[in-house]
Amino acid sequence: MNHAIRADKFLLDADRTTWHDETLWFVREKRDRAVYAVPEFQELRELASQIKDHTLSRLDLYLQEFEAAALANGVHVHWAADAAEHNAIILEIVRQQGATRVVKSKSMLTEECHLNPYLIKHGIEVVDTDLGERIIQFRDEAPSHIVLPAIHLKKEDVGDTFHTHLGTEKGESDPQRLTEAARQHLRAKFLAGQVAISGVNFAVAETGAVVVCTNEGNADLGVNLAKVHIAAMGIEKLIPRLSDLGVFTRLLARSATGQPVTTYTSHFTKPAPGREMHIVIVDNGRTQQLGRPDFRASLKCIRCGACMNTCPVYRRSGGHSYDFTVPGPIGAILSPNIDMKKHSSLPFASTLCGSCTDVCPVKIDIHTQLYKWRQVLGEADEIPASKKWSMKFMGRLLASPKAFALSGQFARKALRLLPHGLTHANAFNAWAVARELPEPPKQSFREWYQQQPQQIQQPAQPKVTA
Amino acid sequence: MSTSSRDRILAATQANKPAETLLPTVPDFGGEATPERFTAVLTSIGGTVVWLDGLAQLGPTLQQIFPDARNTASPLFPAAIPVDALTPNDILADIDLAVLTCEIGVAENGAIWLPEANMLHRALPTITQHLVLVLDHRRIVATMHQAYAQLPSMGGYGKFVAGPSKTADIEQSLVIGAHGARSLVVLLY
Repeated sequence: MNHAIRADKFLLDADRTTWHDETLWFVREKRDRAVYAVPEFQELRELASQIKDHTLSRLDLYLQEFEAAALANGVHVHWAADAAEHNAIILEIVRQQGATRVVKSKSMLTEECHLNPYLIKHGIEVVDTDLGERIIQFRDEAPSHIVLPAIHLKKEDVGDTFHTHLGTEKGESDPQRLTEAARQHLRAKFLAGQVAISGVNFAVAETGAVVVCTNEGNADLGVNLAKVHIAAMGIEKLIPRLSDLGVFTRLLARSATGQPVTTYTSHFTKPAPGREMHIVIVDNGRTQQLGRPDFRASLKCIRCGACMNTCPVYRRSGGHSYDFTVPGPIGAILSPNIDMKKHSSLPFASTLCGSCTDVCPVKIDIHTQLYKWRQVLGEADEIPASKKWSMKFMGRLLASPKAFALSGQFARKALRLLPHGLTHANAFNAWAVARELPEPPKQSFREWYQQQPQQIQQPAQPKVTA
Repeated sequence: MSTSSRDRILAATQANKPAETLLPTVPDFGGEATPERFTAVLTSIGGTVVWLDGLAQLGPTLQQIFPDARNTASPLFPAAIPVDALTPNDILADIDLAVLTCEIGVAENGAIWLPEANMLHRALPTITQHLVLVLDHRRIVATMHQAYAQLPSMGGYGKFVAGPSKTADIEQSLVIGAHGARSLVVLLY
């Protein structure tokens, strides 16, 4: 099943699609207001881009610097080549504690590794504590956005879900009261949590610290009430210096939601006395992406979600239509690296308008990479035959002025003479599924030009003297 | 844990990394480091700023803002609940007001640096129902760059706090009081 087919399902509810579109655009507008209020914002983007480029260019050295600093801080450091190893390491840590209750704050990496089902299968209770993530965990769904995981749902959906799982009153849909119900429910989970798992926004090589940004405070509550903290991070989360956080904390929340900063920007450097802190450093395809010169810039991503909020395709197709942990434009350039066949339709889920590139706080050339993935997918024969052959045909046609003029004549006639039902038949013409073809003109521009009187004088050429 | 995975990841990273580029120097962009700016931004994100006429006014001011607070925790006055790093979770859970000293205020975004040494217990600033942070107004800086420049050592744990806990995960409706403190009052002196 490809992106377009999954998007069709989302589009069945027109009102909801419109709401989704407008709500995300509203977030994009909030982002703009926050960005315009910072005079040096474009300089910050350039600095962030250069810091990330530099970090990738010395990544092996920074990883070792980070590891050494973390070990000196009394932190256990683990390395996982892939999702399976990541999951096994975490299960082992949980088992060593004899623990059965895990609380988790937002981590796209653990989503990517499918950690929750793995732990649950092994008898561990895993509670997602970010409100949006808890909602979709109750519903057994995947997040549809990396910053706003439940943005595909309406408050009535949440009300139904909480009625079923938390016993709130039937029909209750007030966000304030629903949030309060979740607060009470999750407070008990926080207090009982034995192991807390968090993601990582930034890992500082020089100090060995991991930085976690939340608005709800769920990472701080979970980690600081449990005996053991496990922080899971991809290798690309590194930044060299503590002072680099000055750049990234100024960009992240403004780009993500238009806030000046997240409510909590928490720096976990050492475990509290008598407690444990573990960091799991994960590859899972990232070193492979680092080795692709055209696509390695995707590793600079700081997961703000701005490219999703601005994307005209994402806003109207919903995060689930991408069927990948990270949806939207950035997901469409990350996913083919993981599985080119499965995600082959995603780089085509774009108009190549370039809005994603314009808003990216670390200046990833997202739309250029989307275009380049299309070339790679074409070469690898991973595009549908109809697309492949029609592109080949169009390539030949557009390269020949004679064939182009002839087919133009033919098309203008055919469009006038053939019945609408045929020219707009969905089976033949996917373009016309939701669009009208233009009324055919009587003649082409070239035909018209040739009929014009020839007395128009060319302007005199300036004389060139030696 | 696997030593071979570590070596394989490092080897692949070394083999696949691009040619080295320079690490830029981050300039100090200057900016407005005033209590007025700090107050305006923090208020816009749900916090409250109250001027304290000297630290002696702390008690009466708290009494005025939180007349019903019973289970208080603070190193600044004889609070109802003594809290230290070993206080068990069920006692922390009952605290309704924590009053702590903080170190740096950032005018551009209303963030306030709270190091572990000032927290009594790492969980206290988030598990308390309401949080009050006491800040010397001379410690207000303009930007995050300036804040980090004043933090040479991070200690074991510390955080910037910018307003009360909040969420917009249900239909993008802003709700104050998600999991952490339901309100944040900054007392400037």
